[in-house]
Amino acid sequence: MVDIRYGPREPVEEGEVVTEENVFDHYDEPQGFFPGQVVADLTVSTFLLAIVVVLAYAVPAPLTEPMDISTTVYVPRPEWFFFFLDQWLLYFPGAALIAVGDVIIPGLFVILLLAIPWLDKEPAYSPARRPFVTVVGLLVITVIVLNMLLALLRIVNFTGGTPAG
Amino acid sequence: MIARTTARIRGWGRDLMDWMEERTGIVSLTEKLLYEPTPARGRWLYTLGSATLFLITLQFLTGILLLFYYVPTTDNAWDSIHYIMTQAYFGRLIRGMHFWSANLLLFVIGLHMVRTFLSGSYKAPREMNWVVGVFLILIVTIMAFSGYALRWDQEGFWAWEVGAMISSYTPLIGSWVITTLLGGDTAGPATLSRVFALHVWLLPAVLAPLIGVHLYLLRKHGEFGATFEYSERLAALRKRRQMEETFGSVEEDGQVADAGDHSQEG
Repeated sequence: MVDIRYGPREPVEEGEVVTEENVFDHYDEPQGFFPGQVVADLTVSTFLLAIVVVLAYAVPAPLTEPMDISTTVYVPRPEWFFFFLDQWLLYFPGAALIAVGDVIIPGLFVILLLAIPWLDKEPAYSPARRPFVTVVGLLVITVIVLNMLLALLRIVNFTGGTPAG
Repeated sequence: MIARTTARIRGWGRDLMDWMEERTGIVSLTEKLLYEPTPARGRWLYTLGSATLFLITLQFLTGILLLFYYVPTTDNAWDSIHYIMTQAYFGRLIRGMHFWSANLLLFVIGLHMVRTFLSGSYKAPREMNWVVGVFLILIVTIMAFSGYALRWDQEGFWAWEVGAMISSYTPLIGSWVITTLLGGDTAGPATLSRVFALHVWLLPAVLAPLIGVHLYLLRKHGEFGATFEYSERLAALRKRRQMEETFGSVEEDGQVADAGDHSQEG
C-alpha cells in the first residue's frame, strides 16, 4: 500500500538538538502534498477559472478598428503592465534620455532582481529580521504602484488625439 | 461469488500496477510526488505558484483553440479575430478567457514574486529557482505584449510600434533590435509574421521547459514557505542558545556537557 510520508510528526523530535543548520529541515506542521495542498490549489484554480469565464462574457476582449498605417493622430494606450514604463518615460524627456529611462534603468533593475539571492546576505528569513532588504523591496513596489496609478490618471484624463478603445 | 470476483479484480489491478512499476517506476514516482511533506499553516499563501501554473495552462489551451481561426497575415488578422468574436462557436468566450487569464496571470505572477521575496524563499539552496522565476516573469510579459500586437488593430499595432521604437534606443544593438522586431525598416507583413512566431512558437518553446526546471527545483529543494512554518523549531533553537549562554554547550539529551561556569554543575 501507499507509504504516506508526512515527515516528522512533532516540531521537535524527542532528543533532537535544533541547530542553525537543521532548524529549517522540516516544518512544525507538515501535510502531504496530496490531499492537503492539492485541495487548496484546486480551490484557487476553480475560483480563478470562474472569474475568467465571468469576465470573458461580461467584459469582452477588446478589438479596436483595423490597423491603418496612414494614421497620424492615433495615440496608443499601453497595457496596464506597461503603465509604469510609460510614466517612467516622462522623467527622462528627449531622445537622448529615452535609453536611460526605458532601457538602461529597467535593464539594471532586472540584473538586480536576478542578483537578489546573492545581494541579501542576511541569514534570517523573516522580513522583520532583514529590514534593509524589506524596506528597499517595499519602496520599489511602492514606486512601481504609484507610477502605475499616475499613468492611469494621465491616460484616463487624456483628451488629445483619437480616443483609444 | 461476489467476494471471489472482487478479489480476482483486485489481484488483476495489483498485477497491472506491479507490471507498470517494474517497467516505468510510475507508481513509486507518483507516491513520491503526491505524498511529499509540504507546509500546512500557510497553504493558501502557497497557492500563488499553482495559480500561476493554472493560468499559464489556460493560456496554452485557449491559445491553441484561437489558432484554429486566427490568420497571421496583415489582410486577414483583424478579420479573423472579428470572426472569432462574432461567428465562431464559443469564440467570444475563448478569446475572452485568453485575454483575461493573461491579465490575471501577470497580476498573480507579480504577487507570487512579492510573496517569495518577503518570505526570503530565494535564499540558499533555492537561488536558481528565483533566477528561473525572474526569466519566467520576463517571458510572460513579452508574450503579453506580443499578443497585444497580434490583434492588428489600431491600439495593438501602434503600441507595438511605440515599444519597438523605444527598444531602438538600446545602446549598441538598438538598430538590430528594431529591425528584428519589425522585420525590416518599417512595420508591415513581416512584422506580423515576426510577432506571431514570437508569441506562438519561440516564447512558449522557451517558457515550457523553464516552467519544468522551476517545478523540478521546487520539488528538489521543497517549498520553504515562511518563517511561521518553523516557529516552534525556531523557539527551540532560541531556547538552546539561551541555555548555552547560561550553562555552556548542551548535548542531545539536554544534559549540560561543558559548563563554562563549573559552579553551575553543583
